[in-house]
Amino acid sequence: MKIEKDRKGQELTLTLSGRLDTTTAPTLEQELQQSWNDISTLILELKELDYISSAGLRVILTAQKHMLKQGSMKLRNLSDNVREVFEMTGFADIMTIE
Amino acid sequence: MITVRHLSKKFGETCVLKDVNAEINKGEVISIIGPSGTGKSTFLRCLNLLERPSSGEILINGVSLLSPETDIHLLRRKMGMVFQSFNLFSHLMVVENLMLGPVQLLKLSRQEAYDRSMKLLETVGLTARAYAFPGELSGGQKQRVAIARALAMEPEIILFDEPTSALDPTMVSEVLAVIRKLKEQGLTMMIVTHEMDFARDVSTRIFYMDEGIIFEDGPPEQIFEHPKREKTRAFIHKISLFRFTAESKTLDIYRFNAELEDFCIRHLLNRKQIHNLQLLCEEVLVNLLFPLTEKVELSIGCTDDNRETEITFEYAGQTGNPLENPKPDQELSCKIVQHLAPECNFSTEAGSSRLRFVLKDNNSKVSS
Repeated sequence: MKIEKDRKGQELTLTLSGRLDTTTAPTLEQELQQSWNDISTLILELKELDYISSAGLRVILTAQKHMLKQGSMKLRNLSDNVREVFEMTGFADIMTIE
Repeated sequence: MITVRHLSKKFGETCVLKDVNAEINKGEVISIIGPSGTGKSTFLRCLNLLERPSSGEILINGVSLLSPETDIHLLRRKMGMVFQSFNLFSHLMVVENLMLGPVQLLKLSRQEAYDRSMKLLETVGLTARAYAFPGELSGGQKQRVAIARALAMEPEIILFDEPTSALDPTMVSEVLAVIRKLKEQGLTMMIVTHEMDFARDVSTRIFYMDEGIIFEDGPPEQIFEHPKREKTRAFIHKISLFRFTAESKTLDIYRFNAELEDFCIRHLLNRKQIHNLQLLCEEVLVNLLFPLTEKVELSIGCTDDNRETEITFEYAGQTGNPLENPKPDQELSCKIVQHLAPECNFSTEAGSSRLRFVLKDNNSKVSS
């Protein structure tokens, strides 16, 4: 998985590509923990993310919980595979998806 | 009638038959099925010593076939053999082919042998071709003559070594019809065959041979409907299998995914199917099974006919179904798994557990 960071003031966009699975989820978790303290908006751009497993969902859920305390989090451009996993797990109902 | 004990056969360093054990009773029709190269024909050829076994014992009505004192020719006469390639004498007419054995070995008069041969030709529907030479017959007719020739020796059992393999599809049925007729007459037969419908229909018992042994032995309804062993099932359903041993401490998920993808592409699964398989395997292995066990044997079966994909996880220990009463951190995995494969079967047997899924939405192939 590749993570690209784009910071504009209080807004951080992380563009993820590849696979967010049991192996790569800790990398995203680490990246978020380093970056989320002084931002008010977190955007995850997921157009190029073509696989997500529960390990990735858990990291995203943790990020959501954290961001709700200090601002907001949005998910953008989910690929079909990723959208389906969000829908089957009910994540589509509790996340802000654009 | 025939007892086979610990039969083995090696060709040089290659061990074709490892340890074959069987009991064949009078009146039985046994079809021997299995993948190519698993020793089916060798087994049959060992029974009448066309191949000499490397070790083991074959008893015919209690008499050891391999004992130096045994009159092998006498015992052989009790066994007819029908080959894939007919093996008729091309310079003799059909009726002469049938008469040869009875005259020379059973010491019948030519008239007696002729009368018997004509009767047998009637049985196989070839009276009209009695004076033809083998070269003038179709493949199906040649094989029917070969069957009649085997019957002419009044054997107690006939061994058929892939009797229809060399025939055009249009001629297969006429040969199978003759074999069915012989079954009605109560003849004991052993048939190596790839004709599954025929084997299922005509046999009283099936030997599924694999790995140089009789891997599973049972009546047709067991072998074809409820095989007890995974390999039998895979063969019957023409399933291509992907196998992988996953160990929690060393699992390289990239390697696993790459190997799985390679298998899927070879079997024309589409991208969506590959994605779903990888997702299901990751969730089950990493989140549901590795908390219970360190080692899981994974097999993925892909049928040729209806594109059903079945995933089986086997592991030591008799745990409960990991999908029932999941821990809070396993609930997500359960949701994903149940969505991808609503059909799940959990069983335990002999100290191990088995979790089996059928992947849904799996009926489309990649268009080429």
